[in-house]
Amino acid sequence: MSHVVLDLKASVKTFSRNKSTMFWTIAFPSVLMLLFGAIFSQSTMKYDLYVQNQDMANGNGTYWSQTLITVLNSTNAFNIQTVNASINATDYALTNRLSSLMIIPSGFNDTANMAIFTHGLTSANVTFVYDQSQSSSAIVQSIVTGIVDKMNFDLSNGVNYLKIEGFTIAPRRFSYIDFFLPGVIGMTAMTTSIFTAVSISARFKENGVFHKLATTPLKRYEWILSRTIYNVLISFLGMAVMILIGTLVFNLKIILDAVSVLMVAMASLMFTGVGMIIARFVKDPDGADAAANVITFPMMFLSGTFFPLSQMPSFLQGIAQVLPLTYVNEGLRATMIFGQSQQAIFNTALITALGIASIIIGSLITKWEED
Amino acid sequence: MVDDVAIQVEELIKRYHDVVAVNGISFKVNSGEVFAFLGPNGAGKTTTVEILECLRKPTSGKAYVLGFDISKDQREIKKRTGVLPQNFNTYERLTVKETVQYFAGMFDKRPDVDGLIKLVDLEDKKNAQFHHLSGGLKQRLGIAVALVNDPELVFLDEPTSGLDPKARHGVWHLIDGLHKEGKTVFLTTHYMEEAEALADRVGIIHNGKIVALDATDRLISEYGKKNLLILRQTTAKAVPTIEKLGVKANFDKNSGDVTVHLNHAVAVSDILHALSNTDTPFGELQLKRSSLEDVFLNLTGESLGEENEI
Repeated sequence: MSHVVLDLKASVKTFSRNKSTMFWTIAFPSVLMLLFGAIFSQSTMKYDLYVQNQDMANGNGTYWSQTLITVLNSTNAFNIQTVNASINATDYALTNRLSSLMIIPSGFNDTANMAIFTHGLTSANVTFVYDQSQSSSAIVQSIVTGIVDKMNFDLSNGVNYLKIEGFTIAPRRFSYIDFFLPGVIGMTAMTTSIFTAVSISARFKENGVFHKLATTPLKRYEWILSRTIYNVLISFLGMAVMILIGTLVFNLKIILDAVSVLMVAMASLMFTGVGMIIARFVKDPDGADAAANVITFPMMFLSGTFFPLSQMPSFLQGIAQVLPLTYVNEGLRATMIFGQSQQAIFNTALITALGIASIIIGSLITKWEED
Repeated sequence: MVDDVAIQVEELIKRYHDVVAVNGISFKVNSGEVFAFLGPNGAGKTTTVEILECLRKPTSGKAYVLGFDISKDQREIKKRTGVLPQNFNTYERLTVKETVQYFAGMFDKRPDVDGLIKLVDLEDKKNAQFHHLSGGLKQRLGIAVALVNDPELVFLDEPTSGLDPKARHGVWHLIDGLHKEGKTVFLTTHYMEEAEALADRVGIIHNGKIVALDATDRLISEYGKKNLLILRQTTAKAVPTIEKLGVKANFDKNSGDVTVHLNHAVAVSDILHALSNTDTPFGELQLKRSSLEDVFLNLTGESLGEENEI
């Protein structure tokens, strides 16, 4: 372990003395955040919510169904899209690749009245049809759940006999910067980890540092562990700076919990492994930078870092679903902005699994000694 | 293996696909000696030294370093040897002192860091970052790093390649110091003057094979040309005067020079005395000693040139 600490200290010293690395790791994402924040801070971030109201009377929605839609609309979190009550909602969602669709069933108004009358012995249910492969569905669902819970609390006059307890997501306006902050944290973790892993590996291979290290008792796994910890620390540093800017400059309400911290650590682990795999196949440092750019640039733009996936053409949305940064961004958004850590658990678990796999593959194929 | 043998190599072969980089070489390096592996780039020097450093696996053959088998005892070998690779590099933004401390930590050693820095004459640069050092200073730091674990055997792979003459002589001075300390030094070089200046014994490698291995003087004596005495701006009558002494001489009409092929039977002073007695004038004289370059040329038919390294 002392070798790991020794190498980690050397890496941190190198980082602190390298203005270029400091710029790209800290200053560049900060400038990006300040610029994008300043340009788009007035615009709100909305998700598409498809609603099929089957509870109609005389061609209009019943009182409670219409009230629910009005409340959802008033939050400014959604672009409400109405779906004709006569069509099969599930088929419609599948055909149109919707991430989520809310169905207000026939009789909803009567059941709601009964629930109020009986003080919760019955309940009025809405059905939520969603595509779990589309990460925004979890976010939409969590906001809708929060709003419905809030309505229940209001209706029950403060008496807490509903099953969802302490779930207090308040209808809140989400601005672009709310969307962008988790994205820029994910992007920083990706670029820092991939570029560091690729360029250090390629440079050390070319200029003989690996050769020299291989003549010492330092083991390869100790060096890889040191580099991974270093990348995680640098990603945390980037995260801290982004949160500081978001809080102080844009007055964001950021929720920092164990899931978001774990997500950043695992993202860094995963991208370090990806970087090591790339480094194995490049011949020199110039090629390493080019290869890292080829990987990171498309991922940066296609993974919902700068703009919501729902605003992209459907074929690009399909590509986004196979990019790991998409799951990092959406997971961080769910936990840091919407406070829905449980919605980010799948994403965190996925990134953890990918991280472990990539770091194992990267470690196995990274060579110091020649054949 | 006996204690006074630091390295023993037996029928070592290394192939890269169809290319045979090292072709069945066998040799020994004695403890406490400076052994130079001399050959042109691409001869197989670096491949051999990297096999001995446990960085490459041989295709076949055996090698023992400090009594340890390179195929089984890599950890023991690494603990006891120091390595200066070609063009030593490390973390660019660590200072000289931090670099020595870093590598010392890798060996779990606490050497006299300031003493090592003083040894390689880098006291003025101890707080300078690595990327600010010249090539010569980097190599000197590399030697300090190679000594952090107080090794019994030091591998120096082309330690002066690419350095200017002043820096080269600085590194030679350090290697000479290691020799005097009693350390075994395994040196690879393609500079014949480096091998001549530093080595107790020289192994000449060509196309993966050792073509000669002996003490430097004996190699020159056995495989080199005879020493030559050149008399400038003299006359043809010098030739019979000199040949009467039992040595061969040639007169060059164009230059007016006489070249004398010296042998052990005649001293230069005898020739000069004979010329003086016959009033034979000459402008200046030049003594040309045979060198390892001549030995290499004689053995391989090629000169030591810059080719591709394997």
